[in-house]
Amino acid sequence: MPKIIIDTKEIQSRDGIPVLQAALEAGWDVPHYCYHPGLSIVASCRLCLMEMKMPNPKTGELSWAPKLVPSCQTPVKEGMEVRFDSPAVKDNQKDCMEYFLLNHPLDCPVCDQAGECYLQDYSYKFGHAESRMIDPKLKNPKKDIGPKTLLYQDRCVMCTRCVRFTHEVSGTHELCVINRGSRAEIDVFPGFPLDNPLQGNVVDVCPVGSLLDKDFLFKRRVWELRSADSICPGCAAGCAIRIDHADETVYRLKPRFNPEVNDWWMCDEGRFGWKYVHDPKRITSPIVRRGMDTLTPEWSELPRMVRFRFEEHMQEEGGRGRRIGAVLSPFMSCEEAWLLAKFIREADPQAVLAVGPTPYEGEDQKFPAGVNGDASKVKFTILKEKAPNRRGVEMVLAASGGEAVDFAAFTARALKGEFSAAWIVGGYPKPWIEGDAAKLAAHFRLLVVADIFPNPLMDGAAIVLPACSWTEREGSFVNADGLVQPFSRAIQPPEGARRDEQFLFELAGYVGLASGERIRELMAEKIPAFASVYVPPAVPEHAH
Amino acid sequence: MANYEPILLRNRGVEGSRTLGVYELRGGYQAVRKALKMTPEEVVEEVKKANLRGRGGAGFPAGMKWSFLPKDRKTTYLCVNGDESEPPTFSNRVLMEHDPHQLIEGVIIAAYAVQAQVAYIYLRVEFHEPFHVLQRAVDEAYAKGYLGRKVFGSDFNVEVYLHRGAGAYVCGEETGLIESLEGKRGWPRIKPPFPAIEGLFRKPTIVNNVETLCNVPHIIERGAAWFTSVGPSHSTGPKLFCISGPVNKPGCYEWSMDLSVQELIEDPRFGGGMRDGKKVKCVLPGGISMGALCASELHMKMDFEDPRKFGLLGLGTAAAVVLDESIDIRIVLRNLARFYAMESCGQCTQCREGTSWMHKIADRIARGAGRLEDLDLILQTARNMGMMPGLSICGLPDGATYPIETVVKKFRGELEERIRAQPREEVGQTLAVVN
Amino acid sequence: MAWIPLDRNKPAFPKDAPPILTEAVREKIRFFFSRYATRRAVLLPALHVVQDALGHVSMQAMTEIAELLEIHPSEVMDTVSFYTHFWTHPKGKKVIVACRSISCEALGGQKVIDAVKQHLHVREHGTTADGTYSFMTEECLAGCDHAPCLLIGERMHKQVKPEDVPKLLADAGNDRIAAPRSDLFDAPAAKGGASNGRPGGGSSAETVGATSDIREMREA
Repeated sequence: MPKIIIDTKEIQSRDGIPVLQAALEAGWDVPHYCYHPGLSIVASCRLCLMEMKMPNPKTGELSWAPKLVPSCQTPVKEGMEVRFDSPAVKDNQKDCMEYFLLNHPLDCPVCDQAGECYLQDYSYKFGHAESRMIDPKLKNPKKDIGPKTLLYQDRCVMCTRCVRFTHEVSGTHELCVINRGSRAEIDVFPGFPLDNPLQGNVVDVCPVGSLLDKDFLFKRRVWELRSADSICPGCAAGCAIRIDHADETVYRLKPRFNPEVNDWWMCDEGRFGWKYVHDPKRITSPIVRRGMDTLTPEWSELPRMVRFRFEEHMQEEGGRGRRIGAVLSPFMSCEEAWLLAKFIREADPQAVLAVGPTPYEGEDQKFPAGVNGDASKVKFTILKEKAPNRRGVEMVLAASGGEAVDFAAFTARALKGEFSAAWIVGGYPKPWIEGDAAKLAAHFRLLVVADIFPNPLMDGAAIVLPACSWTEREGSFVNADGLVQPFSRAIQPPEGARRDEQFLFELAGYVGLASGERIRELMAEKIPAFASVYVPPAVPEHAH
Repeated sequence: MANYEPILLRNRGVEGSRTLGVYELRGGYQAVRKALKMTPEEVVEEVKKANLRGRGGAGFPAGMKWSFLPKDRKTTYLCVNGDESEPPTFSNRVLMEHDPHQLIEGVIIAAYAVQAQVAYIYLRVEFHEPFHVLQRAVDEAYAKGYLGRKVFGSDFNVEVYLHRGAGAYVCGEETGLIESLEGKRGWPRIKPPFPAIEGLFRKPTIVNNVETLCNVPHIIERGAAWFTSVGPSHSTGPKLFCISGPVNKPGCYEWSMDLSVQELIEDPRFGGGMRDGKKVKCVLPGGISMGALCASELHMKMDFEDPRKFGLLGLGTAAAVVLDESIDIRIVLRNLARFYAMESCGQCTQCREGTSWMHKIADRIARGAGRLEDLDLILQTARNMGMMPGLSICGLPDGATYPIETVVKKFRGELEERIRAQPREEVGQTLAVVN
Repeated sequence: MAWIPLDRNKPAFPKDAPPILTEAVREKIRFFFSRYATRRAVLLPALHVVQDALGHVSMQAMTEIAELLEIHPSEVMDTVSFYTHFWTHPKGKKVIVACRSISCEALGGQKVIDAVKQHLHVREHGTTADGTYSFMTEECLAGCDHAPCLLIGERMHKQVKPEDVPKLLADAGNDRIAAPRSDLFDAPAAKGGASNGRPGGGSSAETVGATSDIREMREA
């Protein structure tokens, strides 16, 4: 832990990081474009330059070196002294900002990046008010560089982060620099577009409005967006993400730094995998059937009604040897799984609980492309297990004390008539009931189905509950490495639906407002793993 | 000025000087035989003692560079920089065209000294003729057993390959050259690590200029003491000087470094005076990147020390271009600015944007739409780039700073006069188009 | 979308186009493999070989080189576009490169450039209507002692006077060097020529579709 002095203040820095990173972590706003902690260092934007004390070659005495040095390229060293507040440093920042904007079209009003643009921010904070250039600006073409991404070359600052990303992280090499000097551009080889499973990250690493996400293009001004910290449910990896939303609508997902899981990145499958949240085919209101009657009760009535139906059922069925079965979805949060398991076990202490089917697609994908053998070089993994919380649900079931089986065993036993009642939870973004499972409904006297989309079991269900997408709930997922990671709610459930954890909380006999934290406190008494959750360290305020 | 017997160019003009036979007949390939009997360390030591400063422009001592190599290295590469792209320099071309074996001998000795198994000679693509001359010389040397396995019957193996560039000034920068050799765009690398530690293919690498290596056989043959006795004490050894422009005898000449610009222009052994008796207006004495002299500064000595006193960056390639009084200084300014705008690699912001901006300004001035404040603007832009203030990865923008700065400063009077003399309405029109 | 972006998803040549690098060319490229520690390093020699054989390095040639060197085509394009000597579009049978560095300009280089343009009716980067010549300029050819100079094909023409230009261009052997060639690289074959020659030259239209020619910087 070297101590270094920045602008006369002594700070503690981590070992082996560049001075720039140390300064950012200590709260300095040092402008930078080409530096990204997840990419190699090129020191080409020359914006993060600092002054450094160096030993005089003759006397050995420390004094301020006459030249500026890039803080991104200089590793921290015990006792070193640097400064960012000198006139030389500030002048360079001013001049650099003028250069970056020399040929920039200044079209912020129609630029998606406006509001989160480091040209705007740095220009405002470190730059000149106006350009001294009276000559015509260089103009470059806009390019459609891939199915999901546009390149607006005129806004580019040539930091080459995007190019380095495709070389070093995705390993797919689609992006390149063409030409040289002030005519240099970012490009792809025609017919070999930017189309890899991680390509969306190039838009994130772009500090300006040059690389644009077609999906988000012209959809919303970014300052109108609110963000919620979440976990991607796309696969079992559990990447930390941010849900950007406004007016109860999700607009985009962005990765959040998590050194244990995804570093700075996320895959496109997760990034664009949220569209089902706003699918008009979603179920939005509960249905309760009794005989020929169908009604849509108030949510406040529902817990009591459901409890009554199960009590009634146990009285009728009690002693006949048939049990209650429940299928808990790997898309449920740990909290929901625990509340539901608690309710079912209380209704029937010998209930059989199962984890719903886990979707698998293809094989795990490791990046950079082509490093599959060498684990130390893997920078990102997309897992074939396409559900966020199988492990969490399994942990809850294991701790719930009774019999827990897998979905195939559950189906087989249900088809033999072993269960008189069942509670089946879906929540999958894609249809998930296949084969024999579709015939299950006829084998229960009482069936509760909770799902996001209509499924084949619903027609035979006594109670149908609309489930919520993860953007509308809060709780925690346990990822493939066993990390318990909390996620928070971004938007309200669609009108008529209700947050799953709130309903289950009340069903399990609690009163008041359910929160992930409150439920975990209750859970922790039984399952110590939930006493604490993993929250990635905060990214330094000025890092990007 | 004492007499001087050419060393590096001694074979120029000799019939068949490109052939191994003639080269050897005239005493060639003796130094390498001598070197191979010494230990590599002794060879390095000898070159170090000679204080052979690099002839490529930066003037870094070659022996010192060699001694930076890590001791425990396995693979070492030697790269020979024949990318000679600095206008108006052509001394490497002359060396390769007239005496290719001298270079090959230097390469073998240097490769032996640094224990390089492979040497690449990087040639700019425009050197078509030198390429073929050198390739044939290499073929001849291979055939004779002077290159390849067990050279001259010793235990030392070295492969020499020619590698052709493709038209990029920045590939003359050593790490740009290395990147280019690796098949990439010639974007100079950040240092450290220096090439001696991590260079070509991430292995220890030495990059030396053609002229530097041509000196090596003579140092080995005649000894370091001889080398340090040639010329003034701070700038020793034989040196090639190029002179071009409207002089009577443009060309490449060899002398010790006690030559003044005036002598280079006027002496009948060199430039032979100005054509048609015109007066000198401006001289860029070290390749354009070192900066310009005005007519009153021609007493500058072309050595490693004196140019700094005249506000120049250094000796550079010691290639002078003389401009006479008939040329419009605005044209000179534009020509210089255009060169750097075209050749900037585009990596560092200040250089990428600054050189192109300077060109825009200089071009506008040359087209008669300059403003007086443009002179300050171009000066500020010129000063605001380069490795010396820490604003770039390589020295290319330093090379842009000096010529622009010295031309604007030293010829400010003429520039202002010409700007003031611009027809007003024309300025307005040009500016209107511009905006 | 109000913008009309260049569509880079579209291949530059039909996917089923027959290969344009002959086995002989490929063999020449493979010859260089043993010289370098990485395949990528063979790129510059390979590009020289291909340009000598085809007269230019087309997009298809780039993908075939990429395949041969086991790199991504974008990496080939990256390198090709950096260097001024590689051409992505067909040029005339002979390429004239005029030097415009300070020594040449001081000795009337501009007049020579004008004379060539006028005589051939080409603009910079243009090709004559009959596809014989393409014309371009270079910053320095390192022939300053012979300024002003012109490079035609491989041959450097020294101390060119504007009035010599017509005679020089009429000479059939004006692109061949006197020195015996090494057989490492072929003499440029310049296959392009007539079919792609654009009357009166001019290249701004063609360069938009692919990598824009580096040298095309707005002069006037």
